[in-house]
Amino acid sequence: MRILRYLGPRLLLAAITLTGVAVLVFISLRLIPGGFADIVLGPFVTPESRAILTERFGLDEPGWVQFFKWFWALLGGDFGVSLVTQQSVIAELLRRAPVTGELALLSLFFALAVGLPLGVASAAATARGGGRIGRTIGALGASVPDFVLGSLFIFVFSVWSLGLKAGGYTPFFEDPIENLLGMVLPAVTLGVFGMALILRTTRDAVLRVLTEGHVTAAVARGETPRQILRHHVLRNASVLILTVSATYFGYLLGGAVIVEVLFSVPGVGFYIYSALLNRDYAVVQGGVLFVAVIFVLLNMLVDLLYVVIDPRIGAKRG
Amino acid sequence: MSFIGRTRGFLAAAGVSAFLLGSTSGLAMAESTITWGKPAEITFGDVHVAGTASSWDVFQLVYETLLTTDETLALKPGLAESWEQTSPTTYVFTLRENAAFSNGRRVEPADVVGSFNRILDPATASYWAKQFGTVKEVKALDERRVQVELEEPHTAFLPATAHISAAIIPAKELLAGEFDPVTEMMGTGPFMVVEHKQDESWTFAANPHYWREGYPLADRLYAPIIPDEAARMAALRDGRIDYTFFGNPDIELLFARDANVTVIAQETTNYYRVDVNALNPERPFHDKRVRQAMDLALDRNAIRELVFAGSAPVDFPVPRAFGLEACKSNPAYALPRNERLEKARALLAEAGTPAPEVAIMATTANPLYARIAQVMQQSMNEAGFETSIEQVPVADWLQRVFTDADFDLSVSWLAGYTDPTMVISWWNPKFAVWNLAFFEDVPALDTALNDVKKMPAGADRDAKLDEICAMIGDGANLLALVNKVDYVAYRNDQIEVRIDPKTGSSNMFQHIGEFNSLKQ
Amino acid sequence: MVAALTSLWRRDRLSALAFAILALLVFLGVFGPWLPLGDATQVAAGPRLSPPTWAFPMGTDELGRSFLPRVVEGIRYTFLLATVAVIITAILGTLLGMLAATVGGFLDMVVARVADVLFAFPALLAGLLVAAVVGPGAASVITVICIATLPLFMRVVRSASLSLAERGFVIAAQVAGATTWRVILRHILPNVMSVAIIQITYALSIAMIIESALSFLGLGAQPPRASLGSLLQVSSVYLTIAPWLVGFAGLTLSLAIVCVNLLGDSLRDAVEPLPGRTLT
Repeated sequence: MRILRYLGPRLLLAAITLTGVAVLVFISLRLIPGGFADIVLGPFVTPESRAILTERFGLDEPGWVQFFKWFWALLGGDFGVSLVTQQSVIAELLRRAPVTGELALLSLFFALAVGLPLGVASAAATARGGGRIGRTIGALGASVPDFVLGSLFIFVFSVWSLGLKAGGYTPFFEDPIENLLGMVLPAVTLGVFGMALILRTTRDAVLRVLTEGHVTAAVARGETPRQILRHHVLRNASVLILTVSATYFGYLLGGAVIVEVLFSVPGVGFYIYSALLNRDYAVVQGGVLFVAVIFVLLNMLVDLLYVVIDPRIGAKRG
Repeated sequence: MSFIGRTRGFLAAAGVSAFLLGSTSGLAMAESTITWGKPAEITFGDVHVAGTASSWDVFQLVYETLLTTDETLALKPGLAESWEQTSPTTYVFTLRENAAFSNGRRVEPADVVGSFNRILDPATASYWAKQFGTVKEVKALDERRVQVELEEPHTAFLPATAHISAAIIPAKELLAGEFDPVTEMMGTGPFMVVEHKQDESWTFAANPHYWREGYPLADRLYAPIIPDEAARMAALRDGRIDYTFFGNPDIELLFARDANVTVIAQETTNYYRVDVNALNPERPFHDKRVRQAMDLALDRNAIRELVFAGSAPVDFPVPRAFGLEACKSNPAYALPRNERLEKARALLAEAGTPAPEVAIMATTANPLYARIAQVMQQSMNEAGFETSIEQVPVADWLQRVFTDADFDLSVSWLAGYTDPTMVISWWNPKFAVWNLAFFEDVPALDTALNDVKKMPAGADRDAKLDEICAMIGDGANLLALVNKVDYVAYRNDQIEVRIDPKTGSSNMFQHIGEFNSLKQ
Repeated sequence: MVAALTSLWRRDRLSALAFAILALLVFLGVFGPWLPLGDATQVAAGPRLSPPTWAFPMGTDELGRSFLPRVVEGIRYTFLLATVAVIITAILGTLLGMLAATVGGFLDMVVARVADVLFAFPALLAGLLVAAVVGPGAASVITVICIATLPLFMRVVRSASLSLAERGFVIAAQVAGATTWRVILRHILPNVMSVAIIQITYALSIAMIIESALSFLGLGAQPPRASLGSLLQVSSVYLTIAPWLVGFAGLTLSLAIVCVNLLGDSLRDAVEPLPGRTLT
């Protein structure tokens, strides 16, 4: 019952948000000049052939009819078929989701593995009056656009392989080692920005917590710096770090388009991007909504995690 | 005792599995795969409908046409082993005896009848139907022969059967509902589709029923889709792909230091072109003099030098690849540039618009378009134009140019096909239809274009082509710029290729069956 | 001004350096067209893809244009778009955030939901969609930047205003009969200003990244105009034979963003010092 009372309003809000996304993507797609018939027939489109094609794919109906048909099917879990290939959109999305998921997880892992310790170190240095190196790394990491870094990586690693693969994708279950060798560069390319984000967040959060009373009390009690860091500082800073990580992870799920294009990684973003260029309506609609669903679910999961980390939040919010 | 026995059994099992492993990996090594870095995904899977080169290059692996062309653009046998013209309007094709679809069924005349009728059926919405001329009847004569009868003579009919949009599909399976040409591909070509991961890759296997004994040499063809030029270069460098192609002429320069990459320039009958919007009375190019001034002001040599590093020759409405003199004497080509600029300024003054404001539209599909536009901009401005550039996605461009006629100039390319009369027939908007929105109809030109199609190749036809060229130059409604050379790059340590120096049907990889993997 | 800079230099050399570089870039961007650097659009001004020489200090590009004036033009265009977009975001975001917090109820819910929807929309894909609807060019770049930076801006300002709205002086003003607008402008705005300014610097750095990414996909600056992103896109193909092109364009872009970020950090440190403490 309490779970219901906790989840109920959140699910409702999620439903409203997702409906908003669905309406928005549908309307904006219909506003785009250039239709599917243009792409299929190229310049050779004639009014007659356009009429035949639009009718064949149900694009001749009024916009709102198309929307409700699509939305109704969506509620039943039917994302429709790609206009270009006539293949199921959801099957393609599910095939690609693990690729994007792996890339996002690896990037997040890189960001946390590097950003977290650097952030703590930078906070400690700042507390002693230094911290310039941490600041510079943080600012630098957030400043190199991913396509610049990606292009550089591709150039360097295609000339001197150095054991890594600059592009190309091998499914994990086919050959895990090849897969990882190919994923390192795109993951690092994406992860550098996240690293900077985590570094700065950690530094700020730690600095903030350090001035709180319970830390002072712990110092007074004579606990070792390591104990204080683990029991008081990181535990309290983790709420903020978690929020930022979740937002960043959500961004990675749809925002990796350029890196996917550069490294030929067959992810969700690349799929939606090329569908948009091809005016493959069903794919763009389904794809954007798919990413939004995962994003919203992720945020709900993070909300739940808050409660686990810090029960006070749960009491306050629930 | 029992312990030893068990051990022996285990060892034996290990031996067997080791043998099995050894033999399967041996098989995998015997199977040769060639890898093609495909620059763009297909736009539509229906071979009779899709009008884009990125779809054609997949169709050309799977499907075949009755005839095809050699490196001199002359017709040669394809799926038909011979053909003859039995009257000015009648053609008879004899099919290869051993030609079969990839499901093993022999090709029958009924497949040709079904395929051609499907192309001609308006419900199919095939853009290629018109290139056949006006077909009266397609019928099977016997087990191996098909006859096509036209309403009136049409010289380009045979070349039209050599373009992949006239592919022969399994009509029997189509009728039986066992084959859907929109979602699947089944042809008589050297390869067949095994797997397609959209926007990711195509995997083809050798068609076991391919008529040419011992071909294709490769057992498999894997084609990852790599749209980014730099990524494609990287893939070739690190050996992930064996061959690919580029439009950027600097590719030779970019691979100059890679000894294991060879770049072959393939001349085509295709050329970069400019569409001019003549039909909107609000826009400057409604006035023919302004169009002529623009044509004169264009510096095709500068485009050739700056955008194509000198490697793509200037091209003409009747493609230079056919080796005719047609169009070469038009003022926009023949006069020196200074004189052309003077004439252009005079024409603009005469039209009362010494400095017309115009926009050049270039799509993002090919980075060269924007570069061509920038050189055009500079050369036009020298004659007084005030030119701007709009870079738009392909779908927007298609609608704005061909449907809404909401543009001044548009840069793209035109396929020249395999007969000099095929591409210029687009200068008749009633025939072309696709340019009705912006092309000013010239009745005299239409008549001449209709006539030339009925004339057999020879001196008379060449004279007619000269006459047509003069009218094309006068209208300045659709301009040829420079040849569209394609650059095939391959790893000479990984693959043996055969690429013709010239192709007429956008059939870059016509000899794909002879591509041989050198990888051990 | 000079005194302020010297004191900044003494206190925090990194920020002072960042400020100086940024000032230089802004100067180049604003006055670039009047500086004797050469013509940014003159095709065939020199040989194609020439390395840096006296005549062409940054070399020439693929059409034989001098690269130096193009980079300066890129700075101008990238800064201009980013600034305009961030100003729009700042005004909209601050107003909506404050309104939502002060008025509450239905409006607050609508604002929160809109922020959620925008937030759940993958930013770059939203951008591509907008660029497709509006058509490539300045307008769509600005719209995309706004869509990407607005949700965070609204949330930050809203939560800052929320804590203010419960404070005594705001409640007192409301009790005294001040209109909502008066409360917002007189009491809340001055107090959320510092939060907003910090957000502006971060939005500015994100804006520059987005502008360059869109230009990289061919949806940003329209040729022959250059932005730092479009310069990078064109020159990245020539990395093997003309690495100086990517070098100059990439360094300039990264330098600009680093400086904005460093400046944002030091602004924040000034507004809300986090001294921390040692653990012994």
